[in-house]
Amino acid sequence: MPIVTILLIPLLASAATLAVRRQRPMEYLHVAAAAAMFLAALDVGAGVLRDGSVSWADGFLYADPLSALVLALTAFAYLMCAPYAVGYLRRDASDGVLSENGSENGNGAEARLRTYYTLTPLFGFAMMLVPVSNNLGVMWVAVEGTALASIFLVTFYGRRTSLEAAWKYAILGGVGLSMALFGTVLAYYSAHRVTGGDSLAALNWSVLVTRASQFDPTVMRMAFIFALLGYGTKAGIAPMHTWKPDAYSEAPAPIAALMATGVLNCALYALARFYVLAARCLGPGFASHLLILFGLLTVGIAVPFILVQRSYRRLLAYSTIDNGGIMVLSLGFGGALGPLAMLLHMTFHSVTKPLLFFCAGNAQQHTGGDALRKNSGGLMHALPISAPMLVLGTLAITGTPPFSLFQSEFLVLRAGFAAGQSGAAALFVAFLVAIFCGLFLHIAGMVFGPRGNGSRGDGNRWSTYPVIGLAVIVVLMGFWLPAPVTALVNRAAGILAVQP
Amino acid sequence: MFLWQDPQFGNKLITLMAAAVLVIQIMMVAQRWLVTNIRAFAVQSFLLALIAFTIAGFNHAPHMYFVAGLTLVLKGILLPLMLEKLVAKIGIAQEIEPHWNVPVSVLIAGVLTLFAYVIAESLHRPDEAIGPASLGHNTLAVAIAVFLTGFYMMVNRRKALTQVLGLLCLENGIFLAAISLTYGMPLVVEGGVFFDVLVAALLLAILIYRIRETFDSMDVSRLSRLRG
Repeated sequence: MPIVTILLIPLLASAATLAVRRQRPMEYLHVAAAAAMFLAALDVGAGVLRDGSVSWADGFLYADPLSALVLALTAFAYLMCAPYAVGYLRRDASDGVLSENGSENGNGAEARLRTYYTLTPLFGFAMMLVPVSNNLGVMWVAVEGTALASIFLVTFYGRRTSLEAAWKYAILGGVGLSMALFGTVLAYYSAHRVTGGDSLAALNWSVLVTRASQFDPTVMRMAFIFALLGYGTKAGIAPMHTWKPDAYSEAPAPIAALMATGVLNCALYALARFYVLAARCLGPGFASHLLILFGLLTVGIAVPFILVQRSYRRLLAYSTIDNGGIMVLSLGFGGALGPLAMLLHMTFHSVTKPLLFFCAGNAQQHTGGDALRKNSGGLMHALPISAPMLVLGTLAITGTPPFSLFQSEFLVLRAGFAAGQSGAAALFVAFLVAIFCGLFLHIAGMVFGPRGNGSRGDGNRWSTYPVIGLAVIVVLMGFWLPAPVTALVNRAAGILAVQP
Repeated sequence: MFLWQDPQFGNKLITLMAAAVLVIQIMMVAQRWLVTNIRAFAVQSFLLALIAFTIAGFNHAPHMYFVAGLTLVLKGILLPLMLEKLVAKIGIAQEIEPHWNVPVSVLIAGVLTLFAYVIAESLHRPDEAIGPASLGHNTLAVAIAVFLTGFYMMVNRRKALTQVLGLLCLENGIFLAAISLTYGMPLVVEGGVFFDVLVAALLLAILIYRIRETFDSMDVSRLSRLRG
């Protein structure tokens, strides 16, 4: 199966959704497309493991182990979100949430559902295009595509606050991405003398990476700074992270989960590609120091916001910011361990974060708000599945042993000491401890406690089964990672490891 | 030798037009009327298309004709028309209310331009007398200046629409950098970027319309419910 299949599936699904217009077929189509995309991603992964890399149309689309890993993680998150979204939206519809605040194309729930099921595959398409596009320019177009496809998913509920969130998301994202575009132009310029020509291949990563040491260093340095600021905005690197809590808390839970996994991975992926070019051209020192600085700042800035947070959806957003910072930091530590730790963390995070957003979504639908104070605890009794799983997810995401994120965070720490950055590593541990306390206290306060007089009832089957499935995988992953995934992670880390 | 075959002449022509682009940019910073601002943006885009066209002609880069055409149609005509229509439709106040007044803004724009020249100087490679890089010197400085000033315009203005204008100017700066440094990006990329800019402008316009409907205002400083 050629790579392009994985891009065609979501496009066709989106078009077909527009054609059917009825709720049930739209839902089944959505889930079927997600499953097909996941299978196609597995196929790309298998191909990469077999042949080292897969390409299509003269290398226009190209997947090496790094692309295949990001692709598989995104497709997995998408696969989990699809059935959950069906249950989540059905419940919204039956609660009457969907017909509030009139939507733009005719009022009512049906138009909203159609918007969701049409735009989400497009969003998925853009997220799949990022890792498989070989050309850095096309990659930029795809990252911008993820932003464009998701703006109206953020305004899904049409509340005042969601418009505000979407505006900040669009404007900050727009500025960030224009910086990334500038970085791409500069990278092209720095390579221009070496690769020459106006042909499309001159911006292909597979071509650039082999000759990066001959690039113009001054221009490359600027290119990396712009790419870091640009794709960093998309990844929520401090101080450009401010759109994240707003967008994550206003979007529907499955979209927030996709943004916290797929978009984050795509942005970090783009950043990592630029890191390799910069490190090969300038030596790893320059890029690494910048990454360590921004990574630490990001993890650090999440601490106070997590400690005093009053909304649990925003709490999860800050947890994502923190995890993005950990990955950037880890990439900055470099060596052989740094990239490995980053990619392992990305893998574990992409599986654990959706679980948290799903549970939070169920809780929000039950209580009708996401404030931490209003719920005086006791969710445990009302939501017998989602509430305990929320605690499990919180323990996992904060890196408590035996969960898998403990392993990757420990590896980050080791990478830090191996790189001789013991100060940064010590700060990192301090931040992690504070974040653990903050997150766990908030979530525990919400879940445990005496039985309230509220009604009882978890979501429907569609929205609880993905929670259970993910929880099983999260627990399992603490002890065992499938061999192909390990192989993919190892080989992808090899691509990112730049010897001094 | 005819004048239009002399690359030196072409470079001078391009530098002249780039200077005009910068002048228009500073005019936009100083301009208080929204519609004038939109028209200034249209003229700026028109000049950029001309620059692309000139580069294509003098340096035998045929794909640049296509880029020039796209710029002219999309940024020179389509986007400004759409924005003016939006202004008429939502009947907003015509005056821009900047945070800092005009003299201060112009001064800041001047400082940013100076800074842009400093950056461009460090990127200049005098050893390359021919090829796109020789164009770089002045034009790149203008491009960076337009980029930075566009950024300043976004920060300085409170109305949603003027922020979008700032974003578009920023994009113009990048476009100028791309065509002056490397004769533009590969065609597929250029096409993708244009598509994205167009879609982004459309989406932002819809978003502005909805914000206006909901908040009865385009003042983005009112969008302040989400904190912490």
